[in-house]
Amino acid sequence: MSRHRYVRNIDVDEELEEDILSDGGDDLSPEDYELLMDRVDLVRATLGSEDQSGISDHEVKDTLLYYNYAVEQSVNWLLEEQARKNAAKERKAAKEREKAAKLAQSKATSPKIARPSAPKAAKKTAPSKSGSGTATPTRAVDQRQLDISALNLTAKEDAPVEEEPPKPTIALEKLLEEVRKEMDTQERSEKRSLSLVVIGHVDAGKSTLMGRLLYELGRVEEKKRMANERGSSKIGKSSFSWAWELDGTTEERERGITMDIALQSLSTPHREITILDAPGHKDFIPNMISGASQADSALLVVDSATGEFEAGFERGGQTREHLLLVRSLGVSQVIVAVNKLDQVQWEKSRYEEICSTLKPFLVQSGFQSSKTRFVPIGAMAGVNLSSRDSPESGALKQWYKGPTLVDLLDTLEPPSRDIMAPLRFPISNVFKEQGAGIGVAGRVCGGVVQVGERLRILPGDGTAVVKSISNDDHSLPWAADGSNVILYLTSVDPVHLSIGSVMCRPDNLIPLATAFTARIITFDIDIPVIAGASVELYHHSRDVPASISKLVSTLDRATGAVVKKNPRVLAKTTSAEVQITLRNTSMSGPSAQAPIIPLESFSNNKDMGRILIRRSGETIGAGVVLSLLS
Amino acid sequence: MKLVNKYVDKNGAGHVTLRPEDDEDMWHLYNLIQEGDSVRAPAIRRVQNVSATGSTESHRVRLNLTLAVTRVTWAPSTSASAGDLAQAAESSSTPQNSTAALHVTGRVTSENPHVKMGAFHTLDLEVNRDVRIEKADGWDSIALGRVQESCVPGRGAEVGAVVCGEGTAIFCLLSEHMTVILQRLEVPIPRKIATGSSAHEKGLSRFYSTLYSSFLRHIPYANPSLRAIVIASPGWVRDGVYDYIMSEASRTGNKALLGARNKFLKVHVNSPHVHSLVEVLQSPEIVSQLKETKFAREGIMLDKFHKMLGTDEMRAWYGPEHVILAADRGAVGTLLISDELFRSNDAALRKKFVSLVESVRERGGEVVIFSSMHESGQQLNQLSGVAAILTYPLDVEIVEAEEREAKEEEERKAAEENGKGQ
Repeated sequence: MSRHRYVRNIDVDEELEEDILSDGGDDLSPEDYELLMDRVDLVRATLGSEDQSGISDHEVKDTLLYYNYAVEQSVNWLLEEQARKNAAKERKAAKEREKAAKLAQSKATSPKIARPSAPKAAKKTAPSKSGSGTATPTRAVDQRQLDISALNLTAKEDAPVEEEPPKPTIALEKLLEEVRKEMDTQERSEKRSLSLVVIGHVDAGKSTLMGRLLYELGRVEEKKRMANERGSSKIGKSSFSWAWELDGTTEERERGITMDIALQSLSTPHREITILDAPGHKDFIPNMISGASQADSALLVVDSATGEFEAGFERGGQTREHLLLVRSLGVSQVIVAVNKLDQVQWEKSRYEEICSTLKPFLVQSGFQSSKTRFVPIGAMAGVNLSSRDSPESGALKQWYKGPTLVDLLDTLEPPSRDIMAPLRFPISNVFKEQGAGIGVAGRVCGGVVQVGERLRILPGDGTAVVKSISNDDHSLPWAADGSNVILYLTSVDPVHLSIGSVMCRPDNLIPLATAFTARIITFDIDIPVIAGASVELYHHSRDVPASISKLVSTLDRATGAVVKKNPRVLAKTTSAEVQITLRNTSMSGPSAQAPIIPLESFSNNKDMGRILIRRSGETIGAGVVLSLLS
Repeated sequence: MKLVNKYVDKNGAGHVTLRPEDDEDMWHLYNLIQEGDSVRAPAIRRVQNVSATGSTESHRVRLNLTLAVTRVTWAPSTSASAGDLAQAAESSSTPQNSTAALHVTGRVTSENPHVKMGAFHTLDLEVNRDVRIEKADGWDSIALGRVQESCVPGRGAEVGAVVCGEGTAIFCLLSEHMTVILQRLEVPIPRKIATGSSAHEKGLSRFYSTLYSSFLRHIPYANPSLRAIVIASPGWVRDGVYDYIMSEASRTGNKALLGARNKFLKVHVNSPHVHSLVEVLQSPEIVSQLKETKFAREGIMLDKFHKMLGTDEMRAWYGPEHVILAADRGAVGTLLISDELFRSNDAALRKKFVSLVESVRERGGEVVIFSSMHESGQQLNQLSGVAAILTYPLDVEIVEAEEREAKEEEERKAAEENGKGQ
């Protein structure tokens, strides 16, 4: 009897959803249609043709649209649905038989209410039988609900779903459309956005350069500059006045050193650039990694003063390590700013010496020479940043005729964005802001996030609703792959939010892993890597203790062919496939739970599949995740 | 630990009676008692009697039980202990309380008026209660060595260590054989945001104050047996932490803490994780202070092994099979072996490692048995638990090939003999 009631409820829902679907599902752009047809063929390859499988093309398409073109899921669903239809068919037949039998016996004792429900249920459960109905996965959920309700289970779990009806999923289609349009216009208008990480050896002048650049481009008010100047000379560090714009905390200012990433944005004639000013000191490389993993391109600052460049570039210097790190994190474009040339009297020979030392190393590290540019600058005096008009640049003007730093920044090529990928948002900062609630900063690594969505926070069971999205004080309705934004969240328990967690849509979660296989390249290391070596694993803003639990094979660096299986050690600059297991950090035995981190294989999501391995303050390797083990 | 009684004949049969005194003794007992041994210790058992009329009465009886051990479980002390320690140290120099739990489960093997033979019992071993251990397979050199080691009076120093990062702190207490993690502290500190907000500073000061209160609770700074208090961190967190602790101590007039000022050591490490403790133990400040302690030696040895691996790969071997091969050739100069291997329930496996240790010692090699309760031991466990620094270089592949040949030779001989026999 209760079943009867449920059937009626669902009837209404179904009709509503069907309306919405027909609104949203049919207007496809030509590219989408092509993609769709492509995927339909793939699905057909598994299922067989229409006659063999009994599944119509229409159904396949609907399913694919629902699952966002994921072939595997669609196939699974279609097969399930097929099984269900067959079952329903049989059920109906059985009921029909039963009814006939009952009629024949003409016993009127059977309850009258039950009878009408039987054919009705049959009608509902097998709507596609008539051939005209198009089964959609949305309905499948209802079907399942129906089945569950028949088991007399309370449907309490569904309550939160009720709050936000399937709106986001359907709206997603429209949103993607919108995002794509926006990106097209952005491309046409040639004001494209990208993010840039500023790297280099400690005291190369990264923060000073950025402070000066922001000032030159009118991002720093005169008043603030004066305040910084006064403040810094007060504590006897007037040379740090430009850096104070980015080094905001008291400790950084006192020590005159950047300790954490500073986020700023600037705009050149054709680019909107998000600047991530990284710390150069080697103790803060974790912070630098966190910044570099959010960047598309890099600006390397080198100190040209006598002895300083050499100190930064020799082994153990950060010029070398930072370059390797950003390359391993997927950054392929780099601008090299040769700084402090005023200290060597703007000698052309010094500039050329530095360029010729760096060039081979850049190529060797995997930067294409066409994507590396050099520029001589004097950050403190603002020489050759946006122009060479100031009196200090007279000496440089005599021999340098090339582009300025801003000209180079203006020609950086933004990478392609993947908005169709499932949403991943690794958190790099969590903070409370008065009036705005809890904010999380980070970079969208795949997909699109929009205001009003409920997202899952992994690891853990937390969820959060996006209240607003902000980017450099502008409020946005959505943010797509590659943008560095702050999400302000509501209805979230702050305990779930920690730096390093990943936010994603509840219907497409990022997998969690404690062990995985990876392909790594070891850097220039003294102590070889052996099975069981304790290392620290860096993944976005998170670092965890781990161990290289197994050396699977060493590979040829060029071809990737297996050179040796089960090697005993990995020497320097070796390419290898290894197993990495996160370490149980307590010594109290098996009771302590193993740590778990969100991770994806490189083939699924490039951003989420890159790892770095460090040991005792030295980066020993970088790699990509091949597959998750557990 | 006190050795109350020892009767072991030349074949290794016999028993040893020990009186544990602190947590570390419990760890020794855990390493001594194995499956199959018989252990006699005081126990409290609820005995139920049914009278002729069917009424039951139950009472708790204190008695000595002898068990044939089937299982030993160990849990290191919890954070509560150190606070007690600090208090105890302040009031009087009473011996430390033990909070480590060691449970021995097995069947009762000796007759007594209350408990049937063969009944199961779990002994909760306590400090200051005598335990008699009789080894099933006899006392080997490793077990006897451990008894001896554990009974050395006034043994090594204790070190309190706080490994901090920005917003994280791990409180540890290191003793000769154990590293106990007392607490992990995590205070979310918002990272700096471009708009110079004060959130970062606020978070930092909250972190310092929580750290200070945990420090008072966990680190027995006034205890004279505590040799050093290490504050380790990357960056400059350790300076901030040290300054905060000292300023709070003088603000609140904590004389004991101010008096311990010279025990503080600030050490630079590269990561805020527990495994940085290895780096702590290798730092020159610590080495000069604690050279003779076991845990410092373990750290140095492991470092030596790694360095050898870097300089001459053929002289650094690891993994049980390989190390045994090297020992057969008399090449092992220093053997690094984890105590976990001796806890193995497989008697044959244990015997294999015991004979490995004995053969290395016979040839004049040095043997360092790592405690798996230390970070260095944990890292050795990751490397299969056994490693060796060889006196002369040997190529693993050549040795393996030799072994294979020898084996084939043997097989061929055996086959020939079989052929002759037929």
